[in-house]
Formats: sequence, C-alpha cells, structure tokens
Amino acid sequence: MNNNPYQPVNGEIVDILDESPTIKTFVIVPEQQFCFATGQFVELTLPGEGEAPFTPSSAPAQTKQMEITIMKAGRVTAGLHECQKGQKVGIRGPYGNGYPVDSFAGKDVYIVGGGVGLAPIRSLFLTLINRIKDFKSVTCRFGARTPEDFIYKNTLFDSWQKIEGVNIKLTVDRGTGDWKGHVGVVTSILEPEDVDIGKAVAVVCGPPVMMKYATQKLVEFEFAPKDIYLSMEKNMSCGIGKCGHCMIGKYYVCKDGPVFTYDQIKDYPDIWD
Amino acid sequence: MEAVFISKLKPFLDAVAASMELYVPKKSGGHYVFFRYAPENDRPIELNTIRACTPVKEFLFPVCELAATYPQPTVPQDVKPFAVFGLKDCDLRSIMILDKVFAQEDFQDPLYMARRRQMFIISSDCYSPAETCFCNLFDGKGFCEKGFDLNLSMIKEGFIIEAGSKKGSDFIKKNPQLFADVPRILLAERDKNRSGAQQQLERNTAEFELNGTTREIVHRNHQSDIFDAEARNCVECQACTRVCPTCHCFYLYDVRQKDYFAKMKMWDSCMRFSYAAVAGGANPNKILGDRLKNRLLHKFVYFPDRYGIEMCVGCGRCVDADAGGMDLRIILKKLGAEPKDRNIEQAKVAK
Repeated sequence: MNNNPYQPVNGEIVDILDESPTIKTFVIVPEQQFCFATGQFVELTLPGEGEAPFTPSSAPAQTKQMEITIMKAGRVTAGLHECQKGQKVGIRGPYGNGYPVDSFAGKDVYIVGGGVGLAPIRSLFLTLINRIKDFKSVTCRFGARTPEDFIYKNTLFDSWQKIEGVNIKLTVDRGTGDWKGHVGVVTSILEPEDVDIGKAVAVVCGPPVMMKYATQKLVEFEFAPKDIYLSMEKNMSCGIGKCGHCMIGKYYVCKDGPVFTYDQIKDYPDIWD
Repeated sequence: MEAVFISKLKPFLDAVAASMELYVPKKSGGHYVFFRYAPENDRPIELNTIRACTPVKEFLFPVCELAATYPQPTVPQDVKPFAVFGLKDCDLRSIMILDKVFAQEDFQDPLYMARRRQMFIISSDCYSPAETCFCNLFDGKGFCEKGFDLNLSMIKEGFIIEAGSKKGSDFIKKNPQLFADVPRILLAERDKNRSGAQQQLERNTAEFELNGTTREIVHRNHQSDIFDAEARNCVECQACTRVCPTCHCFYLYDVRQKDYFAKMKMWDSCMRFSYAAVAGGANPNKILGDRLKNRLLHKFVYFPDRYGIEMCVGCGRCVDADAGGMDLRIILKKLGAEPKDRNIEQAKVAK
C-alpha cells in the first residue's frame, strides 16, 4: 500500500486515437486497479516532462483501461502528443468530487459543451446512457470551432443521436466543408424550451469564455444557480488541496471540485479568468 | 505547567544534542539564522531576542525535496529526531497554521508529517520585539503559551524552562542533573520581562491598529485601487512569500535522472506571474496588483473561511524582506481607512 499521494501508479499507453487536428485520445492501462467517478480527474505524468490534470473521457464502469482526451496546449501535452503506443506514463488520483449523477435522477440533464470540454462530458454521457431510464432526458448542446474540430465524431454524429431519451444539437463557429448544421456559438442553440427548467439540471464544460456566457444564458432562463454544474479549469498541481494554485475563493478546485454548482462560486471574483 | 531552572545554556543544549540533531540561532548580518549545533564548538550560544530571519517552515517543508520517483516508488526518507532552539510565539503559531494544511483533513502530506512528528520544539520568550513585529495585532504575544515541547524564559540569573508536552516533560525527567527548582521570585521576574516586551510591542504597533477585523477590511475593499497602487512598490522578488512562515504554496516538477525519474516538490510564490496560469493560456492574476490582492484575500478571507484562522502571525518578516518597500501593516491600514459606504465600482467608472 503506497501512502504517498505524490507517487503515481505506473501505466502504459496502449492506443492513441486522433480526434481533431489538435486533440488525441490516449487509451491507458494502469498496472493497478484504478477506479474513478465520472467528473473526477487524474494527474497524468509523462516521465521526465511533468504532469498535468485531465478528466478521463471514458466511463467509470470501464475499469481495465481508461481513456484520456488531450488537447495540445502546453509543454506536457505537446510531449504527450509526440508519444507512441507503449509509452510508459504515471497516473495519480482520482481527485475531486465528480458529478452527482444519482441526484440527477428523474430530471432533464441539459449538457452544454464546447471544444475539448466534451472530454469530461463524454464520461458523464456514457454514465448517463448506461442508466438512461433513470433520467427524464439527456439533452446536449455542443459546439466546436469547425466541424473538423468536433471530437468523438464517429459516435457524436451518429450512434449517440439515435439513443432513445437523448437529444443532441450541434453547432460550429465556422461551417467548413459540407457542414449543413447550425452555425454560431453554442449559446445560440440554447432555448428555454429545450428542457423543463424547474425539473432540470445543467452541466457546462468547455473553454472559460464559453462557460461564462453559457452560464449567463442559463441564469437568464431562470435555472437556479444550484442546478448549474460547472467543471472548472484551474492550475491543479498537487491534486490534494495543499499546493494552493487552483483556489477559487476558499475552495480548492482539485479537492472541492472540479465540479462546482454556480451557486458555490458565483460570488468570488474572476472565476472565468 | 512544570517549570525548572538552569543557570547556563550549554549543558542543557549539550544534553539535547546528545539525543538528536539540534539547530540553534546565531547572528548573521544583523539577523538570526539557524545553524546545526556542535557541542565541541565552545563558541558561546546566544539566545535570540527576537524571531530568526528564516521561517520555521524550512524545517518541516524544505525549499525543495524529493516527492516521488518513477518507475520504482520512493522509499520514504527516514527522518531522525531533531530539535530547533529559539523559536518564538509567532513561529509556533505558524506551525499551527501549516498543520491545518498539511496535517489535517483527508490527505496528510507524508513528507511534512515525517518531519513534524520528529521535531522537538524549544521556544523562548521575546525580549526586545523588532520595529517590524506586529504579532500583537494577530492575537500573538512576545512569549509562548502552547505549541512547544520546552520553553525558555531568560532572567538575570539564568533561564526558566517550562514543559509544554509529554516529550518536554520526559526530557526534564530524564535529565534531572541539569535542572533546579524555580523560586517564586524568579517567576515574578519572568512575568515582568514578558509584560515589558508586550508593552513595547503595543507601543511599536499603535499606529497600525485596525478599525475592524482583517477579514472584514480586506473583503469589503477587495475591489479597491489600493492593491494596484501598493503593487507599484513591488519589485516581484517574491521574498515576502519565501520568508513568510505561513505561506505554503508549492509546485511539483519532474526531472530526468540517470536511471529513474524524480518528482520534486518546491516552494512557489503566488506573487509569481505564471503562478495560476493554465496550459491554455488563461491566467486570472496577470496584473501584479491582482496578485497582491489575491495574496491578501487568501491570508485574511479565504483561509479563515476554510480553516477558521488567519494565515498571518504578524511576525513582520515580509516587511523586513521586502526589497521594494511594501508593508503589509500599511496596506491593511490603508484598506481599513477606505470609506465603508464607498461604491468602488462607480468610482472606477467615474475615473
């Protein structure tokens, strides 16, 4: 039993899937059993380079391996994008609180996502559809810069849309190629009639600016702040509420989040920066 | 509390050093810093009149340490018992604050805990508070009442030693030859010394008395222009956070060794530009004034909201160390002087 929270579990990248020009999904097999709840995150170490926080995009029910979808954004992620199958990695966690899925039972689950924010949402989505009858609906509004930038295209454009109880609408900022769908930012496809607001919860994940305006729109729709779940991105380093980098007010995002209700954090300054 | 008397320090320190590593304060460049005690060295040991320049956190949470290795896990470092002599009340209160972060709640930091368990704390009274000391504004005193294993009070004829823990009591019991009883008159002398130091502190800090709690003052004025104005004096040396005994931010980084990879844990500073930046480029505190504001909000609003205690002991090290002349006492005083009914947002728009 290793009691050192800074010690990663060893793992191996067994497959790499290209999702978009800047995003890849890494399939990782940990050497030890590694369980997580949807929405929790892990610290993924590329040995010698460093580590960075990611929320797995696979369903928690899949315990032998996990999938982590990563956008090339900084030094560690650029290093990961250079990796081949067989690369050894380290995994710490899982950390944080995850989505309170049981409390969503009987409600419309209104999911608003953008860009690589669909990674944690995929994990949540797969968890929800495993027990779809528990929810009134799973209503998704997803956006990307261009059709090419959507991740999980194979399932997102096809099989997910055919699941009974699931309603998906997509939009892109720029309609390139043979895109025939909606063009505009994700907030332009949010309508108050999409769900029964008094009996719904909203889940928002994406770039900070998208989360800011999507949350504003949900508040305009009279979603109660306690019913809006936000997956917050901050500089999470230690993962255990010690190092101080990820604070929003009195909260450590790594420990008390990364999923917060808007009600918890709305009064703190600069939450979207 | 059990009290005994010694006339000289050296036999006492030699006895401590016989069973553990001992660190003692010595003057260096006008400040006290800690050195390893060597019994064979007959240089006289000086009891520091005020807190050392270096914060006690260095003993529990070194500037840089090995946190983990890959692919083989690190064998935990065996920490041997050690003692630190000459800590002051502000140091002991800073340990209580660090304990809130590293020793409580669901994740204990094993690196911190290994040192914390082995640390033998020998504190002492302050005799001549520095002009920058302001512990009395944060419920501190020039002498220790808890948090020590042994505490020394200097009097004319020698030193009164009190035990504050079982470890401290056991040390006194194991070394009866070192100690004598304390006549009541000496206790009265100690109390007079303590009272004199406390009065001096109060005189030193009279001009910095606040007209409310720090939480209320900082929270109420978190949009004040004072942060930007005061930050103009900051040269971004980060010394304030390094010498602060309660600042505990760190970062983890990986290094490649010959046949393994190491994960290191190193002090960080919230006054550093990229402290809160994420890989995507977002940075909530790009502006220096915002970083100063965040530092004060953390110390006086967020930390108390979470842990029920302010993250400042009023030791004044940050005032001593600041190369640009920023003074926490003055910033708090200025914030406290802001009108309570002032609508800062409107004032900013009017500008």
